[in-house]
Amino acid sequence: MSAPQAHLVDDDDAIRDALAWLLKSRGLPCATYASAECFLAAWSPAMSGCVVLDMRMSGMSGLDCFDQLRERGSILPVIFLTGHGDVPLAVGTLKKGAFDFFEKPLNDNELATRIAEAMELDTRQRAENATVDSVNSRLSSLTTRERQIMELVLAGKFNKVIADELNISMRTVEVHRANLFDKMQIKTAVELANLLKPGR
Amino acid sequence: MRNIAPTPPSSARRLRWLLALPKLGIVLLLTAILSLLWLLHRNEMEEERAALIKDVLWLEQSLRFHLNSNEEQLQQLAADLTGQAGAKKLFRLRAGHQLKNNPEISQLLWFDAQGSVIDALPTTTLPDQEIAAFGPPVAAKAFELASRLGKRYYSEPFFLEGNRAVVELMNPIFDEGQLKGMLVVVYPLDALLGNLVPWWFTEKYKVEIIDDNDIQYATKTNIDSKGSQSYEIPFDPPGFGMKLRISNYQNADNSLQRGLTLAIFALAAGVFWSLWIVRDLMKKRSQAEEALSAEHAFRTAMEDSLTVGMRARDLNGKVIYVNPAFCKITGFSREEIVGTSPPMPYWVPEQIEETFAQHQRVMAGNAPPDGFEITFMRKNGERFDALVYEAKLIDGKGQHTGWMASILDVTERNRAEEFARMQHEQLQFTSRLVTMGEMASTLAHELNQPLAAIASYNTGCLNLLDRPACDVREIRPALEKIGVQAQRAGKIIRRVHDFVRKSEPKRAPCALGEVIEDCLGFVEPDARKRRIRIECTIPGLPPIPADRLMLEQVLLNLIRNGMEAMAATPEADRVLHIATETTDSELRISVSDQGCGIAPEIRDKLFTAFFTTKPEGMGVGLSICRSIIEFHRGRLWAEDNTHSPTGSGTIFAFTLPLEAA
Repeated sequence: MSAPQAHLVDDDDAIRDALAWLLKSRGLPCATYASAECFLAAWSPAMSGCVVLDMRMSGMSGLDCFDQLRERGSILPVIFLTGHGDVPLAVGTLKKGAFDFFEKPLNDNELATRIAEAMELDTRQRAENATVDSVNSRLSSLTTRERQIMELVLAGKFNKVIADELNISMRTVEVHRANLFDKMQIKTAVELANLLKPGR
Repeated sequence: MRNIAPTPPSSARRLRWLLALPKLGIVLLLTAILSLLWLLHRNEMEEERAALIKDVLWLEQSLRFHLNSNEEQLQQLAADLTGQAGAKKLFRLRAGHQLKNNPEISQLLWFDAQGSVIDALPTTTLPDQEIAAFGPPVAAKAFELASRLGKRYYSEPFFLEGNRAVVELMNPIFDEGQLKGMLVVVYPLDALLGNLVPWWFTEKYKVEIIDDNDIQYATKTNIDSKGSQSYEIPFDPPGFGMKLRISNYQNADNSLQRGLTLAIFALAAGVFWSLWIVRDLMKKRSQAEEALSAEHAFRTAMEDSLTVGMRARDLNGKVIYVNPAFCKITGFSREEIVGTSPPMPYWVPEQIEETFAQHQRVMAGNAPPDGFEITFMRKNGERFDALVYEAKLIDGKGQHTGWMASILDVTERNRAEEFARMQHEQLQFTSRLVTMGEMASTLAHELNQPLAAIASYNTGCLNLLDRPACDVREIRPALEKIGVQAQRAGKIIRRVHDFVRKSEPKRAPCALGEVIEDCLGFVEPDARKRRIRIECTIPGLPPIPADRLMLEQVLLNLIRNGMEAMAATPEADRVLHIATETTDSELRISVSDQGCGIAPEIRDKLFTAFFTTKPEGMGVGLSICRSIIEFHRGRLWAEDNTHSPTGSGTIFAFTLPLEAA
């Protein structure tokens, strides 16, 4: 995963330069792109941080670029920069899942602050995604019997009851349960429940 | 193309009846005539027959008498010849006498008892000698019978040389019971007929002597023609099955009758033929009538389907015809218009003089060839614009009998044209607005860029300055960039100035009088609809340098505002007054209404952009008007109309400099 950055996409050189200057003054790393096409060419799923998109650009517009990103499954937060009169459009982008939009001329530090927030959000999301991915991989390593036992454990049943229901000995249940806890990298049933809460 | 109806109309059926009646009559007449003729003919035949029978009986009787008297004379002679010394002389004398008196007798012979000829007149040659070859001589048989019977006896008829049939009369001569001899009279049958049948009889009839076998012994006839009827009667004496056959000739009367019959037939044929011709003619005529009525119906349908009103007038201007479309356009019924003379009910009362003058022009034959527009009035009082084309009405003989006019209701068209003009005007107006709007939007966007850059640089600099370890040199490039961006914004503003300069009015010398007149022409229909009188006094105005289109827009806007302001004013006071004044340096044009006036709280906002009191107004009219007038270096303002009889009203006035600066 590449280091988180603010990716500035604007066809106006002065704006790019000025925004980069502003972000630098706040200690926020950034990369600049002169057009949507250039940015899309540089994009990869590993790219992290956030995107600052100008709505009106010669060539591909900011909106089209946004749609493209969503199509590619990007989860980067997007902040739009709009001229006057594009506000209704910008509101539409929020509904589509944009992070925020700003009307030019820009409101000094507000934008920089939102960019920082967007980057934080991205970092958080990525961590969560990583957790979900690891839980999924742990779950997929379980055997059928271990999975059955996990269901019953989550239902709050004791080993004895589980053994009766599955027609196996208490001992066998205990062995399976120990394996299950090992594979899921947990110590207690409560931890198991917490781990699987969002996914269920 | 039209189809004549396939089913025969009732007129054709009636015609067929009418044509059949005379035929029937003629047939009946012919039958009657023919039966009459036949009856006459039958009567005639019967009469003829009766006459024939009578004549035949008479003829037979006269023949018998004659023969009887001959017999008696012969008997007398026979008696006288007995015991006479000068018998021979007596025979000569008496026989000669008898022959002379009776030319039917060809020979008188005197035989002795042995059958030898004693004497004979005119010759002594025996007639039967000549036919001795024909079997037993008939004469001998008769001689023998007569001598044996002792009384006169006729022989059977027999033929002589030359096919002459002859009958002989034997008269025995007895003297004291002794047969002394025989007197024989030879009657050639044709001589008998020839001499004993009178001439008038032969004129009428053919007389023949025949026997049962239809062998003809003699005939007396002038003409050999087939008789229409005949009658036979036994011829006795001589008897022996001989008959007299009398046939009548076709007399002249008969031929006349036949001629008459023929003539009747010929006439009947002629009548039939003429009927045939009449029938043909009538057929053709009825076809022509049908075609004509179909044509008429077709034309009527065409006239009735026209949407163009048609009106025909005679030379005196009296209306003689209008089509349904005309009635529909004017709202008057046909009966209300046809027969009326000018002034017409659809003329507009307040324009009666102009309309009448136009009417006189048409009557004088001076109607404009490409039509003229005139205002007419419907029955409900509604006015409409009519486009009228007048043409001479020429009748079938080529006589000029009046005027035919087509009247088109062009109100809608005029309205549509005006609407289109207004639309166009509105569009121009809007396009200017749109252009301005776009320009403003572009301008905003363009200015946004440098401003946004400046703001970002500025914020960045401030952020740096807030840091404890702040290096002023770091800030310098950003400040320089801020300067560059500020200049960029300045350039954009200059571009706007250029644009505004480009869209300044195109001034050209224009006559304000014409501009005002154009505007009046423009709003006239609207004014008529709103029942507003527009008073206008335009003295001769000097041409001024101005953008004509823009001035028109200003004037139109002011006039419309004035008219709209008088919507609630009593009709009599709906007057819009346009006046012009000229001073040394400027023109002053004012548009005064007697409407509702302007509320004082609105007065200040009147010329503000995007302020409006109208539900559909954009609020740019008056502000643009003011801009336009100010472009022309004039002024536009509003004041109360203090002279208004209604006590309220507004005067919009603007000035224009006379000289181009």
